[in-house]
Amino acid sequence: MSSRRSRQSSGSPSIKDDQIIELVSKLRQLVPEMRDRRSDKVSASKVLQETCSYIRNLHREVDDLSERLSQLLATIDADSAEAAIIRSLIMQ
Amino acid sequence: MNHCVPDFEMEDDYAIPASSSARARKSARPEDEIMELLWRNGQVVMQSQNQRSVHKNCKYDAVIPDHSRTPASQLPPQPGNQNPQLFMQEDEMASWLQYPLGDDDPFCADLLYSDSATVQSNNAAANPPPISAPLSRPPIHPPMRRTELQNFLHFTRNNNNNKSRIESAAPSGSKSVVRESTTVDSSDTPLVAPCSRVMDSRPDASNTGMSMSGGGRGVTSTTATSFGATAAASAGKEAMTCEMSLTSSPGGSSASGSASAEQTWLQKPPPAEDRKRKGREADDAECPSEDVEFESASAKKQTRGSSSTKRSRAAEVHNLSERRRRDRINEKMRALQELIPRCNKSDKASMLDEAIEYLKSLQLQVQMMSMGCGMVPMMFPGVQHYMPMGMGMGMGMGMGMEMGMNRPMMPFANVLAGSSMPTATAAAHMGPRFPMPAFQMQTMLPNDPTRGQATNQSEHMLNSLGTQNPNQSQMPNFADPYQQYITSQQMHLPLQQNQAMAQPSTSKQGSSRGPEHHESHQ
Repeated sequence: MSSRRSRQSSGSPSIKDDQIIELVSKLRQLVPEMRDRRSDKVSASKVLQETCSYIRNLHREVDDLSERLSQLLATIDADSAEAAIIRSLIMQ
Repeated sequence: MNHCVPDFEMEDDYAIPASSSARARKSARPEDEIMELLWRNGQVVMQSQNQRSVHKNCKYDAVIPDHSRTPASQLPPQPGNQNPQLFMQEDEMASWLQYPLGDDDPFCADLLYSDSATVQSNNAAANPPPISAPLSRPPIHPPMRRTELQNFLHFTRNNNNNKSRIESAAPSGSKSVVRESTTVDSSDTPLVAPCSRVMDSRPDASNTGMSMSGGGRGVTSTTATSFGATAAASAGKEAMTCEMSLTSSPGGSSASGSASAEQTWLQKPPPAEDRKRKGREADDAECPSEDVEFESASAKKQTRGSSSTKRSRAAEVHNLSERRRRDRINEKMRALQELIPRCNKSDKASMLDEAIEYLKSLQLQVQMMSMGCGMVPMMFPGVQHYMPMGMGMGMGMGMGMEMGMNRPMMPFANVLAGSSMPTATAAAHMGPRFPMPAFQMQTMLPNDPTRGQATNQSEHMLNSLGTQNPNQSQMPNFADPYQQYITSQQMHLPLQQNQAMAQPSTSKQGSSRGPEHHESHQ
């Protein structure tokens, strides 16, 4: 990207960079453990890494909750509204 | 290599004016003077160097008479690059030699000769001349060292200001360096010291350096690296190591231009460099690729001249660091892409967008599910108030996994008990009931098709809520009143909401009222 100077601010790269910076900051807001950190000091790679781990955690939680809901589903009346709700939750 | 010297000389540090005059002077001088020059090249020939060094370390000052204008530039024009190189090298060495001046004159002569010989061979495979032994201080190793040293000096000078950052990087470099330097670590000369260090470690360093950086440029860089390594090893002289580490960076970039880049890059490279140094094999393995780059780049730079060389070197280093950083980021982006289902975007920005939305939906989903989990065991009619609160609290982004705490989901039960509608409807009813203005689900609305069925229902619910209550700031408020309600049941605010929400039949109205209540609360 930069041949001579550190940064060659051409038109397109700067636009994309800004976009990406904004998205990265948005992402940072979503990830709980990075929300309150001092900003502008976290590298993009760290944000991405935290996001990946956070998503994995969420996946795990979803799986756990699905399992629990399934168990609950088994205990309640299948025709009840709760069952329907639970099923909807599991289906997500 | 000899060409290294020219670069060094060409360094734009000092403007070398009347080179010719200086040259004339030099040539005019008798042999002994020349020798002297050689010997004191640092001082005489390398006036520029000396001067520079003088600025930095006035070690050399004593020796150099008036050759103020014998800048490096002169050297190149002179016939036989070697002369300049010699001078350059000599300069380096001269600086060292200065200290042992008296004693080392004969020594120096030998050195000079040997240097000249070696100079020719530049970067001859580390053949440290025996001189090193006699020269306790400046390990006068073969010319290549000198050249390296010169380059190194150049770097050091340039990097003096960068010492601070170098220092940080130095330690890392030093570790690997330890094994490198062995010959004469004691070189003390401040500015020279680093050089001498380098010199000492030249044989080793040069080898590694060479491997590191191939061509002339490489030599310098290697020297620097080796130097830094040795320096670190020998004395933990931070300045040196700093510089070394600086140089050690792949391009041996003289930090001048790319200080920042180098810093960041250094942080990464030094450890990498250390690893490299520690394992020659590793170095060889790693360096080749880098060497190729460096060599070609360095070759080009050399042809362009010192000033451009410096800049190009700095740019090189910067580029390398940038490239590494980009690679890391790309790698993480790929990992993220794998986590996101149905992500077929190759564009970074759109991928990040999808990641953001997916993350939000995931959070919401987890909240819903945990709410559902809490709801089922708590099912009992009558406690209508809870529902809105629970849902409300769970939905906020800030709420995170609060819903996972399984608060008594009375509202849920209420709704369920009240209505025996199909799932979708129930969800729909549940949706409006929830005074969840802070629904980030709204952002997800456009993504419904992409998300597939997974979050449709939740989104549906949320959508209804979202449309009713775009004000997200209310979420936290709900939480508080909810808690208060739970504990003391003295919150009338939630009650109002609950009452509005509680009735399944009036769910729609409740929903409409809910937001109103919320808003009124707010």
